[in-house]
Amino acid sequence: MPKLDLTMDVNGRKVTKQTDPHKRLLDFLREDLNLTGTKEGCGAGECGTCSVFVDGKLVKSCLMPAAKADGAKIETIEGLARPGSLTPVQQAFHKTGASQCGYCIPGMVMAATSALRENPDAGIEEIKERLGGNICRCTGYTKIFEAVEIARDVIAGRLPETALDEDATGDSFIGANVRRLDAPSKVSGRLKYASDMKMVDMLQMQALRAPMPHARIVSIDTSEAEAMDGVACVITAEDVPGEDGFGVFVHDQPVMARGKVRHFGEAVAAVAAEDLVTARRALAKIKVEYEELPGIYAPEDALKPGAPVIHDYAPDNVVKHIPIRKGNPEKGFAEADLILEDEFRTQQVEHAYLEPEAGIAYVDHDDVVTVLSPSQNITHHRHMLAHILDLPINKVRFIMSPVGGGFGGKEDMIYQGMLALAAMKTHRPVQLNFTREESLVASAKRHPSRVKYKMGLKWSGEITAIEFDMLSDGGAYGMSSEGVMRKAAILSCGPYEVHNLKVDTKVVYTNNTPSGAFRTFGGMQAQFATESMMDMAAEALDMDPFELRRINMMRIGSRTHTQQELTTASLDRVLDAAEKASRWDKGAPKVRGAQRHDLGGPDTRKPCTLGARIGDPTDTPTKDERVAS
Amino acid sequence: MNRKMRGRGMASSWYGIARTATIDRAGAWAELDDGGTAKIVTGVTEIGEGILTVLAQVAAEELGVRPEDVTIGDNDTSRSPEAAHAGATRQTYMIGNSVALASRDARAKLFAEIADHWDVPVDSLRAFNGELWAQDTNLCMSMDEAVKTCKGRGVVPVGSASFTAHGTGLDPVDGSGSPWQAYVFGTQIAEVEVDTWTGEVQVLGIWAAHDVGRAINPRGVEGQIEGGVVQGLGQALMEDYQTEKGYTTTHGFAKYILPTSLDIPQINCTIVEDPDPLSPLQAKGIGEPALVPTAPAIMNAIYDAIGVRIKSLPATPEKILDALRNHVPGRELIAQSARQDRAEAHRKGL
Repeated sequence: MPKLDLTMDVNGRKVTKQTDPHKRLLDFLREDLNLTGTKEGCGAGECGTCSVFVDGKLVKSCLMPAAKADGAKIETIEGLARPGSLTPVQQAFHKTGASQCGYCIPGMVMAATSALRENPDAGIEEIKERLGGNICRCTGYTKIFEAVEIARDVIAGRLPETALDEDATGDSFIGANVRRLDAPSKVSGRLKYASDMKMVDMLQMQALRAPMPHARIVSIDTSEAEAMDGVACVITAEDVPGEDGFGVFVHDQPVMARGKVRHFGEAVAAVAAEDLVTARRALAKIKVEYEELPGIYAPEDALKPGAPVIHDYAPDNVVKHIPIRKGNPEKGFAEADLILEDEFRTQQVEHAYLEPEAGIAYVDHDDVVTVLSPSQNITHHRHMLAHILDLPINKVRFIMSPVGGGFGGKEDMIYQGMLALAAMKTHRPVQLNFTREESLVASAKRHPSRVKYKMGLKWSGEITAIEFDMLSDGGAYGMSSEGVMRKAAILSCGPYEVHNLKVDTKVVYTNNTPSGAFRTFGGMQAQFATESMMDMAAEALDMDPFELRRINMMRIGSRTHTQQELTTASLDRVLDAAEKASRWDKGAPKVRGAQRHDLGGPDTRKPCTLGARIGDPTDTPTKDERVAS
Repeated sequence: MNRKMRGRGMASSWYGIARTATIDRAGAWAELDDGGTAKIVTGVTEIGEGILTVLAQVAAEELGVRPEDVTIGDNDTSRSPEAAHAGATRQTYMIGNSVALASRDARAKLFAEIADHWDVPVDSLRAFNGELWAQDTNLCMSMDEAVKTCKGRGVVPVGSASFTAHGTGLDPVDGSGSPWQAYVFGTQIAEVEVDTWTGEVQVLGIWAAHDVGRAINPRGVEGQIEGGVVQGLGQALMEDYQTEKGYTTTHGFAKYILPTSLDIPQINCTIVEDPDPLSPLQAKGIGEPALVPTAPAIMNAIYDAIGVRIKSLPATPEKILDALRNHVPGRELIAQSARQDRAEAHRKGL
């Protein structure tokens, strides 16, 4: 296709460049102008990380063809303030701790800047609505709202500029609100994540992914792809020199599918080429013959006799079973005045870090195979990759690039092996940047769970016994499943001293997207069941839910479910603090919402009705609502 | 019955700090550098939680310099000591304590030289915020001068440390064991409004009280709680990764729904500090535990508002409406009343 000649005003400078016609404004800024502060989070206009100003209007640059921006005035995060300085919005983000991983932050700063340009007197509800097209996964948005309000008031002169300064430190740095040292680079878009980095002579990698969830690989023919101009190498499981297997607890996952695929989207082969377009075209030339196999799509089915076997080493499809036994549950239930039984389920959840997986591998001057990626566990990844590559451990090096959100989802080595193999095969740097769709189908999720619960209590509220049985879907590979089941079992019955209990957590293989580490590592699924049961018990006992918890809570000297004696325990103080802070209206949880006296306080927000606040005269900052400096 | 019903619910939680049911360890190096600055090197740091800043605060406190004087080299298996992974709510506890101990080691080298130089007992020396002095004397110098003096005597003030947390494995039969040496506890209250016509739930307020041990950076702790609460809210009400016979059907953010700015309750944090007796910093952690009680607190609040108990997450509008309309034992009146109210509103053309 013919090239395109584009002319734009970018951050106050005239730019004339020839580029490829397929490029989006986002690609043009990042690839042709090296303005990598504008991030790609989803490529579909849904997350806002790529927000820029086009002729003064906030635009998602992944949705605009570069050609359409020809002649336009573009403003990116790099252009908001002169190098070395920050705008009041950026300073306020720094002050309040509004950036965590930082990946969404350039887009968020652009949206906040737009909100205050559109309406310098915007109230908090309008600000929230104007930030509605930008997703942040780390901060919970609260510090962002605070930052935008401070910036608004400083810009309008309602607050002095000193409101943007760091809080003073007393006689210790411990316990002080020291501002984040990494915030200036995040709010200005200067921090380079793996996908922002370029190396001389670098190749681009793309992965061919399984089009079905369970199949035997009959054959892979890469010859046509390898013969293409611009293709440097094609790799498959055949290229692995050492023991092919990784995983956090059991090394059951090959770098690329070996002999069969076990889940939809699993990598089967990969291409490294001179550019992304060539790499993508080459994928279409790889011929894979599959023989579809019967699959397992529900964890209950994995345990049925005659179920398909997903991994030969585990003919019963069980990844791990963790039992915990304490006291005599039979006796405990016999002593109970009340026995409650129920079942709880949680869903599969995506980490949705805004930075999709990305990485670069190269072989250095000392023949060290080096992988730079946002890995949450470079120590373990180095161990595993050395085995996979059959290299001494000091010939493998992992560098953790800035992590644009992890939450456990970047603990699995699902692509670093492919990068290393291609770098070794070509002796050139190789980069792989996942699309959002790839990230969604190929990365681990939070374990979905089913808990069968039985709880016995005395009329006094004392728990006499618990039976807790969890079944989890581990998906196609082991990843962190074993550890997740262990933590779920240890924490299962909550922060209560239960003298008689029987706990079982079990995770099985299926052909679903693998489950892995995710913030709380099984603790959330288990305690959702326990805390629901506690409230149901409180209702049945006609007892305030705080009181039921106080009766059973762990104290100093209590024995945990695993019979560890606690030397410290703070639940008493935590319960008191929460009850007091929330002005809790005491009473049994018997659908008494309509009678409560503690609702709608100044420490709640107004309910939201979409679109109702822009132009609402009551939603403007008043003297009383000013943010304190 | 009102169309919009409000209620409150609470839930408690507990959590263990650092790796589970195993010994955990982390290493760090420290050096007091020219100009009264400092270098800290360790194997794993930032994934967004703010640990770089926490480590700079810890090193500054222990070395007598300022946080902005601290340079952190990190995250490279060939250039920094092993510190394992970024997860398990272990960063402040494991890396923080390792950096504290390494800093003390480096400081001891410097203090030994300065005590000899001034001819004072080493335990009379104090350093803070770039200044070093001997207590009960008028001897005082800047950290810049102190490092120069130390090096002039032929000593580079470097230190190193490894910090260990002693968890033990679980018995394979009865699961007994001591998986962690530090535990934290939390309690959250949720206030919700349920629209009985549409089934939508809005969380209007969260009160989150968490024991974190000693809080190194309270604002950072709040940031972790707020982020955890919102991830918990997402799981409670909207997030749902789905597959159909193994094929992903939620392959983008148009199908996989995440909380945005309009879903965010006012989050009121209370930090409870129960110091850890087994580690020099006395801090514990907050990254993961903040998320645990949110979803059950919201489900308990929904029950308080409308008498519907959601036992299968997420509590989507469809599930709420279904539960309101269809045979919730003892709750038919609420559902019936909602239907009548809506019919009435339709008649009035609202």
